Amino acid sequence: MARASTPQGQLTAPSRTGALLSLTAALVWPSQAALIAAVFAGLLSGAPTISPLIAAAEFLALAALRAGLEAAAQRRLARAAEAVIATARHQIVQRESGAASSSSLGNAGALAALATDKLEALRPYLLRYRPARLRSMVMPLAILAIALWYGWAVAVVLLLAGPLIPLFMALVGWAAKEASARQMVEIGQLSDLLIDRLAALFDLRLIGAGPAAIEGFHAASENLRHRTMAVLRIAFLSSTVLELFSALGVAMVAVWVGFALLGEVGWGTWGTPLTPFGGMFLLLLAPEFFQPLRDLAAAWHDKAGAEAVLAELTAYEAEDRPGLPGHDLPATGRPLVGAIAWQGLVTRRGEVLIRYPDAVLAPGARIAITGPSGAGKTTLLRLLAGLDLPSEGTLRVGATALTAAHLPDWRAGLGWMPQAPHFLDRSLRQNIGFGRPLPETVLDQAQLGPVIAALPKGLNTVLGERGAGLSGGEARRVTLARALAAGPRVLLADEPTADLDPDTAAAVTAGLLDFAAAGGTLILATHDPALIARMDQVIALGPEEATP
Amino acid sequence: MKPLLRIIRLLIGADRRAIAIGLLLSIVVLAMGAALLGLSGWFITASAAAGMTGLGTLFNFFAPSAMVRFLALGRTAARYGERLTTHDAVLRALGALRLRLLRGLLAQPYRATERLRAASVLNRVTADVDALDGALLRLVLPGLAGAAVIVLAAALVGWLVHPLVGAWVGAGYLLGPNLVFLAGQRRARRPSREAEAALQATRNRLVEMITAREDLTVYGQIPAARSRTLEAGARHGAARTRLDRIERRTGLALDLIGGGVTAGALGLGAWLAEAGQITPAAAAIGVFVALALAEAIAPIRRALTEIGRMVQAARRVEPALALPAAAHPTTQLEPRPALHLEALGYTPRPGGHSLFAPLSATIAPGETVALTGASGLGKSTILLMAAGALTPSSGRVTLGGTDVATLAPETLHHTLVMVPQRHALIAGTIAENLHLAAPEASEAELWQALEATCLADTIRARGGLEARLGQRGAGLSGGQARRLALARALLRRPAVLLLDEPTEGLDADTAARVLAGMRAALPDAAILIAAHREVERDAATRMLQLRHSPA
Repeated sequence: MARASTPQGQLTAPSRTGALLSLTAALVWPSQAALIAAVFAGLLSGAPTISPLIAAAEFLALAALRAGLEAAAQRRLARAAEAVIATARHQIVQRESGAASSSSLGNAGALAALATDKLEALRPYLLRYRPARLRSMVMPLAILAIALWYGWAVAVVLLLAGPLIPLFMALVGWAAKEASARQMVEIGQLSDLLIDRLAALFDLRLIGAGPAAIEGFHAASENLRHRTMAVLRIAFLSSTVLELFSALGVAMVAVWVGFALLGEVGWGTWGTPLTPFGGMFLLLLAPEFFQPLRDLAAAWHDKAGAEAVLAELTAYEAEDRPGLPGHDLPATGRPLVGAIAWQGLVTRRGEVLIRYPDAVLAPGARIAITGPSGAGKTTLLRLLAGLDLPSEGTLRVGATALTAAHLPDWRAGLGWMPQAPHFLDRSLRQNIGFGRPLPETVLDQAQLGPVIAALPKGLNTVLGERGAGLSGGEARRVTLARALAAGPRVLLADEPTADLDPDTAAAVTAGLLDFAAAGGTLILATHDPALIARMDQVIALGPEEATP
Repeated sequence: MKPLLRIIRLLIGADRRAIAIGLLLSIVVLAMGAALLGLSGWFITASAAAGMTGLGTLFNFFAPSAMVRFLALGRTAARYGERLTTHDAVLRALGALRLRLLRGLLAQPYRATERLRAASVLNRVTADVDALDGALLRLVLPGLAGAAVIVLAAALVGWLVHPLVGAWVGAGYLLGPNLVFLAGQRRARRPSREAEAALQATRNRLVEMITAREDLTVYGQIPAARSRTLEAGARHGAARTRLDRIERRTGLALDLIGGGVTAGALGLGAWLAEAGQITPAAAAIGVFVALALAEAIAPIRRALTEIGRMVQAARRVEPALALPAAAHPTTQLEPRPALHLEALGYTPRPGGHSLFAPLSATIAPGETVALTGASGLGKSTILLMAAGALTPSSGRVTLGGTDVATLAPETLHHTLVMVPQRHALIAGTIAENLHLAAPEASEAELWQALEATCLADTIRARGGLEARLGQRGAGLSGGQARRLALARALLRRPAVLLLDEPTEGLDADTAARVLAGMRAALPDAAILIAAHREVERDAATRMLQLRHSPA
């Protein structure tokens, strides 16, 4: 598939403006601090330089500027984040729609989690972590420079408290990482356990084991709580270390400034004594020295989550997965008609090569594919449906050799009855006709009337997973209706009567024979002697056909 | 909102003491933060004033500077304690909620739960419950603590600085943020609901597209399935964009409120100081406290983005919590009751026809009865009604004369056990799967049950009782899974055993031996089999024919 730029590559450019705007917003604060300091310096000197009203208006204007810049930054960051997430989701959906095999990342549920909840974990990272990182690189340096202008004491306090923070955080962070890795494993297991027990729960209660299953779940969830708290204890410790240093830093600045203003300490400035303006200005700036570091720490969690997701996305994109033949080609509307024939057909299933005897199937014929299990009956049906491509040999329909390019047209005339059909979480009507109008004859032919009558909302009943609410025989009849709904020329059916009671088997057989009687080509994989007896032609696959 | 309030009450009720301590610590943290900044501002301004007038040596600077250090350290410690207490209490409360939810779901009628998709139940138990953790951590606790501290700080500022400044700070920080919250949450509710629904739809549609991929490919339905999935994803993106905008505007409003209150405190303080009504140091307290209190209103922004999700989650979770009143008197059943089906009928739709002609029968202890009839006619339905899982539309089911509908589930399942078609195995060891039914059973009893269902050799070959199964019992063939489920049922030693197509997936010879083994294990049990195979009918002592409804 076409490989767009990786998500990591997209992270940088569009959100950079947002981060810069957020930094600009933070840089407004020194002006606000200077304004407050000037007001108090004026009050203390007894000769105020700014009128109270103007001071308040100026402060409000600066606050509005800062808030406006921050909002503009957030707007850009949000837009950039949405673009990254939408692109990644689009790629996953696009890729999954045509993949021939499942991803090594896991089953459908795991991929759906990646495309939804996990991608959402990128959002806070893009919105918060990256601007916080930029601010944490610039703001402390800017404030340090201002502090140095006034003297060395405050600068030394900030320098001592500041760099110690990353050091302690790193130490605590390492411990947290290990603990959280253990917890992530546990969360994954709990969610698996949960799915598993939920699936069984309602049936378990019929043997009176419901309470025992809930008890097991309770124990697992308590265990998870203990692990989570262990992680949180360390995670909170790291932010506590940060707060401790920042609080001590601010307190030390306040105490030094106070003593310097009192004249109790003479050191710490470049000779000239500290002015009231300078003192108050420094005190107001000190918390802002630590604030970007605190923001960064708060967003640290987002980063850890996002990096795990990005790693998973990269692994997903790097996977080399074959596509389903012809899944994305348009149908030309030119139907493929004529006899179906194959020659020298060989396919590989794991280590085993399956060689099929050559055959020609006339239009309208009734063909049974028989043979012991493992002989390749289902595989032959899959080859005919184009779900697998042969390793050798050709399949022809009329004069056309069947290639991926012809598959959409070929499939437009196919009916397909797999052994284990998948139903969608939609109405029965949608499950049979996929939105096309349903001819009444199809429902009759599949003898679905009584089934529909027994459903609470008839054809509009929404089917549960794996057709819950339908018995095995009912599900088979729905599959038959689905196969007949589009008026196919060829019907491929895999063991259509297996595991059915005699009455239902007879009904399904009658439906299939009706289709053939109306001129359709019927190709069945079956070992039901009664059904084989009704066919015109038998293709017997023997174990001798499968050679290693 | 109502379900959310009810759930909040439930969560608080789970551990009142821990929540109260957490709230107290939250207040302490915010109060100490405001005190730290206010005191520092006052200390510096007062020091400057004393230094300028040459009175520096007379100024008692030890008490305030010690106080500053105490507040700095105390605040950090209180914060750590607050976080640990509240998180532990909330995790505990959520665990209890989850359990109650599972019990509530379990108490629902069988047919209702059968149609529930595992995915949606899972969502309710995981994602929805997780969404509710914010209800205490990010809504109730910060809201209460913030309001308390604002009132407290405003009162103190009013007393220490000037009533006018106190009133300004209190009014500004109480009125403004509350208005923002009310307006914001009203606006956020819809996009929040839409975002949640769209994300769910994306998840479900993607799962569906992947699991049904081959069927959809053959039917040419892949483009439709893909665009449905992408459409849901785009809907989610649009709703998120709207939510982001609301969050951004809330943030802007809160920033402006903080700036406005501080600007007012600055202007008022300077004006009062110029007029000589207060000292500059007192004016500094007002400004610094106003700056510090911005921290108390910041959580509103986060709460707003989550409240829509919380309301939705609460709306889904709350109804499922309602446990039906356990009105069943604990009737003692006789040890080996007969199962009576009395003119049973079942109508899937109100006003419709019964699926089958009314069925009456008595299955006596020691008897094996095969229930026969066309597939889809309602054999499973009869078994579910007999098991008390489904309420008959007409007629009733009794055990030794007691209507099963009046029995508590524990009493009923002590006597009667049903093995449905789905095997209901879970990930874990063979022993764990068996112990679900009989936690006290000894190893010898487990082997006995496995022998009875002709599975002992297979299990031995796989490494014994400690051999592990994958999810939903993966690793066993269909027939083996079926026999394990049958062995599990035997361990409960029921007096009445209902089996739904018990030998599906077994060859005729094994099927016959399994049925004989089960009968030998429970010689006195009344056994009713929904039979669709010859071998199941052969094992029966009597047939019971289910017929079409005459209508």
